[in-house]
Amino acid sequence: MRRLPQGVVAALLVLPSGGYLALFFGLPLLLAFLGSFGLYARGGDGGFTLRHYADLFGTQAYRDGLVFSTYLAIVPTLVSLAISLPLAMGLAQTFPGRKLFNALYKVPLVVPGIVAAFIVMTLFDRGGLAARLLTPIGIDLPKIVRDDWAVGVIIATAWKAVPFMTLIIGGSLGAIQKDIILAARTLGATPLTAFWRIQIPLALPGITAAFLLTFIGGMGAFAVPNLLGPVYPLPLSVHMYVNAFERNNWGLVAAMGTMLSLISVLVLLAYYRTTRSLRTAYGGEVR
Amino acid sequence: MSQITLTGIAKAYGTSVAIAPMDLTVADGEFLTLLGPSGCGKTTLMRMIAGITLPDQGAIRINGRDMAALPPEKRNVGLVFQSYALFPHMTVAANVGFGLKMRGIARDAAAERVRAALALVDLEPLAARYPRELSGGQQQRVALARAIVIEPDVLLLDEPLSNLDAKLREHLREDLRNLQQRLRVTAIYVTHDQAEAMALADRIIVMDKGRIVEEGAPVDLYRAPQTRFAAEFLGQTNVVAVTAAGLLPWNTGVAGPADGMVSIRPEDIAVTPALDGAGRVLSLTFLGPAVEYRIDIGGTVLRARDSGTGTAILPQGTQVDLTLRVPPHPLQGVA
Amino acid sequence: MTARSGLHPSDGRWITVGLGASLLIALGLPLIVALLWSFMDPATGWFAPDILPPSYALDHWEWAARNGDIAQALLLSVGIGLAVTALTALLALPTAYALAKLPFAMKRAVELFILAPLIVPGIIVAVGIGTIFFRLDLAFSIPGVILVQTVGTLPFMIRVLAATIEAIPNDLINAARSLGAGPAAVARHILIPLAWPGFVAGGLLTFISSFEEFEKTFIIGSPFVQTLPVILWGYLGGRVMVFPTAAVVTFILLVPMLIVFFLAERVLRDDVMAAGMGKL
Ligand SMILES: Nc1ncnc2c1ncn2[C@@H]1O[C@H](COP(=O)(O)OP(=O)(O)OP(=O)(O)O)[C@@H](O)[C@H]1O
Ligand SMILES: [Mg+2]
Repeated sequence: MRRLPQGVVAALLVLPSGGYLALFFGLPLLLAFLGSFGLYARGGDGGFTLRHYADLFGTQAYRDGLVFSTYLAIVPTLVSLAISLPLAMGLAQTFPGRKLFNALYKVPLVVPGIVAAFIVMTLFDRGGLAARLLTPIGIDLPKIVRDDWAVGVIIATAWKAVPFMTLIIGGSLGAIQKDIILAARTLGATPLTAFWRIQIPLALPGITAAFLLTFIGGMGAFAVPNLLGPVYPLPLSVHMYVNAFERNNWGLVAAMGTMLSLISVLVLLAYYRTTRSLRTAYGGEVR
Repeated sequence: MSQITLTGIAKAYGTSVAIAPMDLTVADGEFLTLLGPSGCGKTTLMRMIAGITLPDQGAIRINGRDMAALPPEKRNVGLVFQSYALFPHMTVAANVGFGLKMRGIARDAAAERVRAALALVDLEPLAARYPRELSGGQQQRVALARAIVIEPDVLLLDEPLSNLDAKLREHLREDLRNLQQRLRVTAIYVTHDQAEAMALADRIIVMDKGRIVEEGAPVDLYRAPQTRFAAEFLGQTNVVAVTAAGLLPWNTGVAGPADGMVSIRPEDIAVTPALDGAGRVLSLTFLGPAVEYRIDIGGTVLRARDSGTGTAILPQGTQVDLTLRVPPHPLQGVA
Repeated sequence: MTARSGLHPSDGRWITVGLGASLLIALGLPLIVALLWSFMDPATGWFAPDILPPSYALDHWEWAARNGDIAQALLLSVGIGLAVTALTALLALPTAYALAKLPFAMKRAVELFILAPLIVPGIIVAVGIGTIFFRLDLAFSIPGVILVQTVGTLPFMIRVLAATIEAIPNDLINAARSLGAGPAAVARHILIPLAWPGFVAGGLLTFISSFEEFEKTFIIGSPFVQTLPVILWGYLGGRVMVFPTAAVVTFILLVPMLIVFFLAERVLRDDVMAAGMGKL
C-alpha cells in the first residue's frame, strides 16, 4: 500500500465541512441566484427573466428598503466603532478592577438581539423609563422607538456589537509588539502620534474585519428592525420574509437576497483592498 | 540487528535540491555522525529515514525491509528532535510512556519500562513534572528516554545538544555514547559541531549541499582528509599550495607531493624562536590550554598552535623557525 | 501632563470610575429595569410617571413556572445548542487541521468559501435553505434547525481551531507519529488536547450563538420548533406586547447564557477568540 499524497489527504479532510457548506450553503445560494433570474425556480416556468429585478427596482417600497438596509448596516457599525476603539484602548491600560471589567463588557455578546430590542423598548419607548426620568426635569424625549431614523434599532444593534468589535480590536492591538510602539516613542512620536501612525495601521486588519462582520449583521437583521424600526421603510430582510412566507413570491425574494449578498461581497472586496498592503508587508500574517 | 541502507535517495523542495541522489549504509550497532554546515540537508535525511518526509526517489531499507509504504508510526525508529518536541500537556512519565501506550503495552509493564528508561538518563525523581518545569538538559534527556524506551531499531538524533551550554553538552555527550554502547542500538547523530562528531562517532559522514563529501573514522578523517572541505570543516587547518618542485613555499626542506595542495594542522607545526628564523609572529591568541600564533613565512600566513605547558609565550614580532611534526597531508581534487 | 500617558500609565482609578459608570448605565440599568418588569404586580400595573413599580408580585414567574411551553423551549434550546456544537466541532476539526498544517492547491479559495457564510446575511441563507428543506422534508423540524444553524457556526469554529492548531509545532505531531501513533491517535492524544483552548472558545461561541439564534430558526423551524428566542418574539412582536412575560422569558433566556459565559470566561483566552476573527 502506498501512502496517500498530501493533496489527497487534505482534500479528504476538507470534505466533511466543505461538502456540508456546499450542500447547505452553496447550493441554496446558487439556486437563489438562479431563481432570481427565473431559472429552476419554484413555481416559475423556468425561463430566463429579469422580471424579479424589475419588480425590485420598480417598486418604491423595495428601493427604499434597499437603501434602508444599507443604512441599518452602516450607521450602527460606525457608532459601535466610535465606542469600541476607545474602549479597547482603555481596557488595555492597567487600572483597578481590570479583570472584572474585561469579563463584564462582553455580556451583551451573549444577549440575544431580541432581548436587546426588548430592553430598548422598556427604556426608550413612549412611557419608557428614560421618558419617565426626563419628563420631570423638563426634557421631552423625541421618539426613539419606531421612529423615522431608526434610532432604537441603532441603539440595540450597536449595544450588541460593541463588545464584539472591542474584543477583536483589542486582540489586534494586543498582538502588536510593545517594542514597536516604544521604538516610535524613542524616535520622537507622541503617544497620540504613535497611536495613529503605528497602532491603528497595524491593527487595521482586525478593525476592518470587525467592521465588516458587524456591517453584515446589521444588513441582514430581521428581528430588531421589525420590533424597533419605523413602519416605513422596511428593510429588505423584512420584505424578504413577507414575500417568502406570506406571498410565496420566491423569485422576488431571491432577487432581494442576491442584492444583499452583492453589497456584502462589495464590502468584502473593499476590506481586501484596505488590508492588502498590510498583508503583503507581513507576508499575509499580521501579528 | 538493524542495518540501514539508503539507495539513490533524493529530495528537492521545488527547484532547490535538499538531498542529491545518495547511497549510504549504516552497520548494525554503528554510531554514525552526520556533519555539515547549516542547510546541507542533514535534517532532511533524518526525516526521510523516520518517514516524516517522503523522498522523491530511491529506497530506504531497515534490515532489508523497504520502508517506502510505511508511515512513521510503523517504522520503529526513535527520533530525538532538535527542539526536543516534548508533549507540553503530558508529564515526563507520560511523555516517555507515550510510545509504549501506542504499542498497546500493558500499563504495569509500561510503567516499569518507563521507570527503567528514566533511571537510565538519571531522571527518575522528575517523572511527575511537566516539560516546562525542566531545564534544557533535563528536557533533552526526557526526549532521549522517550526515544529509547520503545527499543527502536534505529535511534536518530538531530542536533540534540545544540541548545545547551558547553559544559552540559560535554557531559551529556559522554552519557549518550555510553548509553548507545550499552543498548547496542544503531544510531545516526546529526551535528554541525566537529568536536562533538569526533567524540561520539564510529564513523563520520561529512555533507555539503545535499551530497556526501567524505566519510571515515574520526581519526582517519581528521588526520588524513581527502578533500579541502573536510579538512577545513573538521577542526582548523592550513591549506597550502606546494611549488612546482614539490616544495613548501618557505623551503624547509620538507618535500610535499608533486603538485597541488596540502593540509597542515596548526598543532602539527612546532614554533621555535630563532634570531635568523624565516618566520615572524604576526599576532597571537591565548586560548587557555594552547597559544595560537599567526606566522608570516615567505609571504604565506600560517596558523600554528603551541600547547607546550610552561613554554614561554612568544611576543609579536619574534623571528621563529617552523618545523612540521608530521609530513604535510596532500588533498585531492583542489586547485 | 501629556508625557504621563502611554509610557507611564497615569492613575488608573479614573479609568475604573469611567468604565464603571458606563457599564452601570449600559448594562446594569437595563437589566434592573427588565428585572423590575418581571416582578410587576398585575393588580397595580406599572405606568408612567412611576419610576418604580408601586408594588411587586411573583405572578409572572409563577405563570412561567407552570407554563409547560417555556420549560420545553428551554430544554429544546439547550438540546439544539448542544447538538449544533457537537456537529460543528466534528465537522470543523479535520478541515481546520488541513488548513493549518497541510499544503494544498487552492487553499485560499477553500478559506474564502468557508468564510462565505459569515459574509452572506443569515436571512438569505435561511430562505435559500428553506426551499431545499421543503423538498427534503426537513422544514419545520428540529434536525432542519440544527442543520441550518450549523451553517452559521461552522466558519467561526474552523477559523478558531485552525488558528490554535497552527500554533502547535509540527514536530510534536511528527514525534508522536514516530513513537507509533497513527493519525487517529495523534488527533486524540496530541491535537485535541493541545487545541483545547480553541475547542472551548469555538464551542462556547457556537453554543451561545445557537442558543440566541433567531432569524434562521424562525424561518426554518417556526411555528413548530419553538426555541426560547422564538417564544420571546411571540411576546414582543405579536398583536399585544406583554412586557412582564417578556421580561420573565428574557431572564430564563439570559441566566443560562450568563452562567455558561462566566464559567467559560475563566478558561477562555481572548487571544484565541480574536485570532479566529482578527483577519479574514
Ligand atoms: N519544508 C521545506 N520547504 C522548502 N525547503 C526546505 C524545507 N525543509 C528544508 N528545506 C531546505 O532544504 C535544505 C536542507 O535543509 P535541512 O533542514 O535538511 O538542513 P540541515 O542540514 O538540517 O541544516 P541545519 O544545520 O541548519 O539544521 C535547506 O536549503 C532548506 O532551506
Ligand atoms: Mg537541521
